[in-house]
Amino acid sequence: MTLPLTIDAITAHYGTTKVLEDLSLSLAEGELVSLLGASGCGKTTTLRLVAGFLQPTSGRITLGSKDLTRLPAHQRDIGLVFQNYALFPHLTVRENVAFGLKQRKVATAERLKRADAMLDRVGLAHLADRLPAALSGGQKQRVALARALVIEPPLLMFDEPLSNLDAKLRVDMRVEIRQLQRANGTTALYVTHDQEEAFSISDRVAIMHQGRIMQLDTPEVLYQRPANAFVANFVGFENLIPLTVSARNGALVTAQTAEGAVLELSQDQLGPIPDRFTLATRPDGLVVTTDPAASGLPATLGLRTYLGRAYQYQAKAGGLSVVANSALSQPLDAGAAVRLTPNPEQCAILQPE
Amino acid sequence: MTNRIHPVLIAFTILIYLFLLGPLIIIFGASLSDTTYLTFPPQGLSLRWFENIWEISAFRRTIVTSLQMAILGTSIALLIGIPAAYALNRYRIALPGWLSTLFVLPILVPEIVIGFSLLRSVTVQAGIPVWYALLIGHTLLVIPYVIRVVSASLASFDFSIEEAAVSLGSHPAKTFFTIVLPNIRSGVIAAFILSFITSINDVSVSLFLTGPGISTLPIQLLAHMEQFFDPTIASVSVVLMLLTIIVMIIVERTLGLAIVAK
Amino acid sequence: MKRIAGWMLASPATLAITLLLVLPVAATIGMTFGPSDGGPWGIVQPYANFFDSAFQRRVLWRTFEVAGWVTVISLAAGLVTAYVVARCPPWMKSTLVVLAVFPLLTGVVVRSFAWLVLLGRQGMINEFLLWTGMIEAPLSMLYTPGAVIVAMVYIFVPLMVLVLVGVLENIPEDLLQASSSLGAGPVASFVQVTLPLAVPGLIVGAVLVFTASFTSYATPHLLGGSRQMMMGTFLQQRAMVAFDWPGAAVVAAIMLAVIVATVLVMTRLARRLNPMAT
Repeated sequence: MTLPLTIDAITAHYGTTKVLEDLSLSLAEGELVSLLGASGCGKTTTLRLVAGFLQPTSGRITLGSKDLTRLPAHQRDIGLVFQNYALFPHLTVRENVAFGLKQRKVATAERLKRADAMLDRVGLAHLADRLPAALSGGQKQRVALARALVIEPPLLMFDEPLSNLDAKLRVDMRVEIRQLQRANGTTALYVTHDQEEAFSISDRVAIMHQGRIMQLDTPEVLYQRPANAFVANFVGFENLIPLTVSARNGALVTAQTAEGAVLELSQDQLGPIPDRFTLATRPDGLVVTTDPAASGLPATLGLRTYLGRAYQYQAKAGGLSVVANSALSQPLDAGAAVRLTPNPEQCAILQPE
Repeated sequence: MTNRIHPVLIAFTILIYLFLLGPLIIIFGASLSDTTYLTFPPQGLSLRWFENIWEISAFRRTIVTSLQMAILGTSIALLIGIPAAYALNRYRIALPGWLSTLFVLPILVPEIVIGFSLLRSVTVQAGIPVWYALLIGHTLLVIPYVIRVVSASLASFDFSIEEAAVSLGSHPAKTFFTIVLPNIRSGVIAAFILSFITSINDVSVSLFLTGPGISTLPIQLLAHMEQFFDPTIASVSVVLMLLTIIVMIIVERTLGLAIVAK
Repeated sequence: MKRIAGWMLASPATLAITLLLVLPVAATIGMTFGPSDGGPWGIVQPYANFFDSAFQRRVLWRTFEVAGWVTVISLAAGLVTAYVVARCPPWMKSTLVVLAVFPLLTGVVVRSFAWLVLLGRQGMINEFLLWTGMIEAPLSMLYTPGAVIVAMVYIFVPLMVLVLVGVLENIPEDLLQASSSLGAGPVASFVQVTLPLAVPGLIVGAVLVFTASFTSYATPHLLGGSRQMMMGTFLQQRAMVAFDWPGAAVVAAIMLAVIVATVLVMTRLARRLNPMAT
């Protein structure tokens, strides 16, 4: 079963603090959308509003044709996977999985059969009679997943489900979650603070900040074409260089910093460039050259750190502090005067805000 | 919590609270009566029963004794209980496990059994004077509270800051007073207050240890009630309740009342 | 080194409790055993004598009955109250906790006295009922088991409420959220999640109330008098009125045995039933 989820102009408060402002979000049937952001950005609040653990101040939440906004949590029919698994410690694995079916008055034999079938799917059939305390973290998370899936909810929600697992297991589990969600075709809302996790698993990702969605797009678009400085910074464009166009020659654009340093950029590679814009680059997007004649930002190198595949430099380019990686085999010393040339593959154009 | 609580449950809770507080309010009213017997509501208002407290010498004497026992007993219990709590937390592995069980025995063993046993051994066999026997009983009564409350605050104390102080050249004994004690201060205050209240309200231990001329206030109240049924008892009760309220306000201001519920 | 330091600090408390509690109580229990050739029962003759008397059997049974009822009623009233208190908004919760702490800090004598005022022959309840004309002559409510039970429930409910609020607050919030997300309404969540997880705490509260009411003195003394003698008042009567110290020691030993057995059995049971501990 699957239904589309619509969150329409939701505002929410904790006491007098506004935590969400006029937030809207739609999930198509079978789509997995992640809410990504630092703690306090409102992603978990959004999930709790949809789950019914919090009440919005205004706005509407609908699942298919059903208005959830004022419905009690236990009537919403949403499969929820918690960060701390939230397995019932007094029930066996099988009883945990069967819990939701029991509330739906499914006959005992039938619900144990379905619970066992679901445990089989997540590969835990042999642990059905254990108590949760006897399971590892990864096993607990599988049980939590089975428990949420077995009720065949039209919507699944995940609240940082992998944050308590170690790195290797996180990767395995997210693949597994994605496969199960795809196989069932269930609409899913996934909350995480881990960018790699969100990008790898989602159809679309909403990057959130201070109770608002900053950008909602596919992982590819977010990664390559961030819409604003916040998102750019979030996805690793550490350097933000404000520029003004001084000349245009076909696709070729000449732009200047406030201090008069000149950069040449190609609209073929970077897309349309407005007259005033910000060039966002990753550390790999600024190529360090010692050739004083090369075009680019004149800069003075500062602290050097070694990353293994490259050296990273803190650099001063006029009034700007930037970070640049250099694959040069010879490390350069602090104080060296260099030029920083943009590598268009690792750059993005931000419209003026 | 967004789940609504069923109105029947709320009504039940209100009834329970009326049950808990109603009788105490009635005592307040009764203490202001101007008749020589207890009625409520009082026929007329007067404070004469409050004056009566101080006029009856037995009350005057037992109030003093009760305060002496509570203050001295609690202080002695702190003096021997704090080091014990510290040892239990700091040197847990070096000490046998039964030690912490020994320290809760005064709570586990019924007070009335302790009182009777102390009467036999301390008062009669060892011939210790009544006042000292009472003090021994009250000290013993509150030692477990001191150890438990101080232990609770030591449990959340990070002993590595003590080690840091010692590594910086502070003498271990001095470190206890300059580093450990200030950090468990609220636990010590809570222990004092809890012990003081336990001691001042005690009946079962004092029952056996009071003697000719020396008694505590609760025992005197029981004795008075057997002979008279006048509002003096109500007014003494009100004084005790006011004292409790003052203590609660002090606790709330300094530590937060949650500490009492532990 | 650590061993010595630990023992030095712990020794005053260890000595005080050993000399002033363990030895005196052991001596009390020691004196309950008769001479080895004393009567058909040998050294347990004093216990045989205790159980031989219908009056003393009645006292022991009444103590069990009263303590049992007090425990059950306090548990039920305390659980409902604690459930509501735990779900209140924070400011209201702290007010309700303060209102429960206040009676707890007020002495047992004062609180028992309140019931003397209410239940007495010229007490408030009688005065009120006479005034309304519902009764012609005052009811005698004092010195009945009911009076003792009501007053003891009154004394122990605040303790139970505070213990159970703590227990309920210790149940992780996300378990209840998980339960409701899986379709369990408030009643189903309470029965299937909250209650099973609260059982160890309920046992702790029940043990506290049972042991305290089994051994209490002031309340049965004031509201039960000599007509409703319980183990506590009987011990006092044997020791201080009848000066029958061996008899009092037997009562003390039986009380101690009941308390220790209750605590041991119930804490073991609570540990077994605690799903978080496994």
